[in-house]
Amino acid sequence: MVLKSLNDLRTIVAGGPVKKLVVAAAQDQHSMGAVVKAWKDKVIEPILVGDKDSILNISGENNYDITGVSIVHEPDIEMATQLAVKMVNNHQGDILMKGKVGTSTLLKCILNKEWGLRTGKLLSHFALFEVDTYPKVIAVTDVAMNISPNLQDKIAIINNSVGCLMKLGYQMPKVAVLGAVEMVNENMEATLDAALLSKMNQRDQIRNCIIDGPLAFDNAVSLESAKHKGIRSEVAGDTDLLLMPDIEVGNVLYKSLVFFAKARVAAVILGARVPIVLTSRSDSEQAKFDSILLSAAASR
Amino acid sequence: MAEKVLSTRKRHRIAVAWAQDANTISAIDQSVKNGIADAIIIGQPEKISTVCHQNGINPGKFLIINSENERLAAETAIGMVLSGEADIVMKGLVSTDIFLKSVMDKNQGLMKPDAVLSYVAVIEIPEYHKLLFVTDTAVIPYPGLNQKVAMTAYAIEMAGKFGIVNPKIALIGASEKGSRHFQYSSDYAEIKKMGTAGKFGNCIIDGPLDLYLACDRKSVEIKGVSTPVAGDADILVFPSLESCNPFYKSLMLFGRGEMAGLLSGTLKPVVLMSRSESEISKYYCIALACLMA
Repeated sequence: MVLKSLNDLRTIVAGGPVKKLVVAAAQDQHSMGAVVKAWKDKVIEPILVGDKDSILNISGENNYDITGVSIVHEPDIEMATQLAVKMVNNHQGDILMKGKVGTSTLLKCILNKEWGLRTGKLLSHFALFEVDTYPKVIAVTDVAMNISPNLQDKIAIINNSVGCLMKLGYQMPKVAVLGAVEMVNENMEATLDAALLSKMNQRDQIRNCIIDGPLAFDNAVSLESAKHKGIRSEVAGDTDLLLMPDIEVGNVLYKSLVFFAKARVAAVILGARVPIVLTSRSDSEQAKFDSILLSAAASR
Repeated sequence: MAEKVLSTRKRHRIAVAWAQDANTISAIDQSVKNGIADAIIIGQPEKISTVCHQNGINPGKFLIINSENERLAAETAIGMVLSGEADIVMKGLVSTDIFLKSVMDKNQGLMKPDAVLSYVAVIEIPEYHKLLFVTDTAVIPYPGLNQKVAMTAYAIEMAGKFGIVNPKIALIGASEKGSRHFQYSSDYAEIKKMGTAGKFGNCIIDGPLDLYLACDRKSVEIKGVSTPVAGDADILVFPSLESCNPFYKSLMLFGRGEMAGLLSGTLKPVVLMSRSESEISKYYCIALACLMA
């Protein structure tokens, strides 16, 4: 199966039990609306860990009816984050979400060796984009977590992402390794990594997907462009997952798709015991909701 | 953009190196038809005629000059501009490497003395309130400080041709925070200093800025970051080809953009475009060269 729209995630989620979403320091103006909506829509069942008074204040001010939502009271932000992570560690939750806590504090808790959510895998950011100029949803990684991944990191990032796509119903997703050019250029490390990743895929060192690269953005997403350049590739023009060379490239592309191409986007952090929702203030309400939806689908 | 690039009234002579493909010839044909250019095609006359006939184009409207191979064709085209027989050079089916080598040749090339070779593209996007000048989409993989300075100056020069005075320039990064993880941080600090000292004339420069702070006024408000560019950038200078190339391609393919672009640092305009650009973008490239000539 291939996702045509982010709405398809709803069908996936509707097919299984409702997952428990634990929000760390839930007294957060920016995430609570999406959490409440996802709860009303039966996408998740929230557990709000944080300062109860603030949580009730925010829901009151915004007219969120959270009667029946479980709240675990812990006024201190760092303690609340620890508690939320520990609850997930104890199998009391299926998804972790960042509330009013800094990303670095949250990551520190996730990576705690005793009670954190480490699996030995690299943590990576995974985003799904829906644009009306591409016939299906396109996944992009890693635009936010790993600053400049080396070859080993890139393999881990692909494996995390392919694993997630398989949970969403994909079989053998097509992975394009992005370069500024589609030729291997010894002065551009990203193109060398891309060639190696393709070859490792051919030799079954990276499984469950079809990898090709380097591909420039145009030949990754447009068959016509690929034909113009004479590129023979199973992936070109039909990409399911686009691997970024580094965060500098990923950040710009993410923002370009959201702002200039008016993309609908959902994102999740992979590689921990459970999917982690880590949205930012500048994300739209829809993006925050879609990210919760994606994490629910990915936690199956 | 169409309005501006097509405002040029004078017919310019374009020397096209090794134009033996339907793609290039159609773009030239359109420019000739629209009266902005006369074309001199350098290549194998028989091949050129065949391609013309296959595409319903009368080869008689072009001046065709015989050449044996692509390298010689590039040299001839550049030579014609140097001698004043043509105003603009355009790359046909010559491989980019060979073509750029000829452009950069110390004796018979087309570079301004000691200039940096770079590329500026002007992009029109439905979702943005004005034209966006972007550099470097095509040439310098990892620009150093001097190259970034040149890229900035070239973009300002092109924006000026479009009537934009006091442009707002965003030096693009992954975030607005300087960081040792990102090598561009120190270069950007230098460029900002130069800007303040007046090296680039009248302009507003800030960076690093992420794309939102550069182009989205709403994000600037939400983040509460104070920047004179404030979501209203005219020019985006990128830290690498790796980030700039997919950026502009995402605008073209997913953002319904149209573009025109030119090499910078040359004595005369040099048109170099990707085969996969849309017909209209190809035509805009030629029109832009006429505007800059």
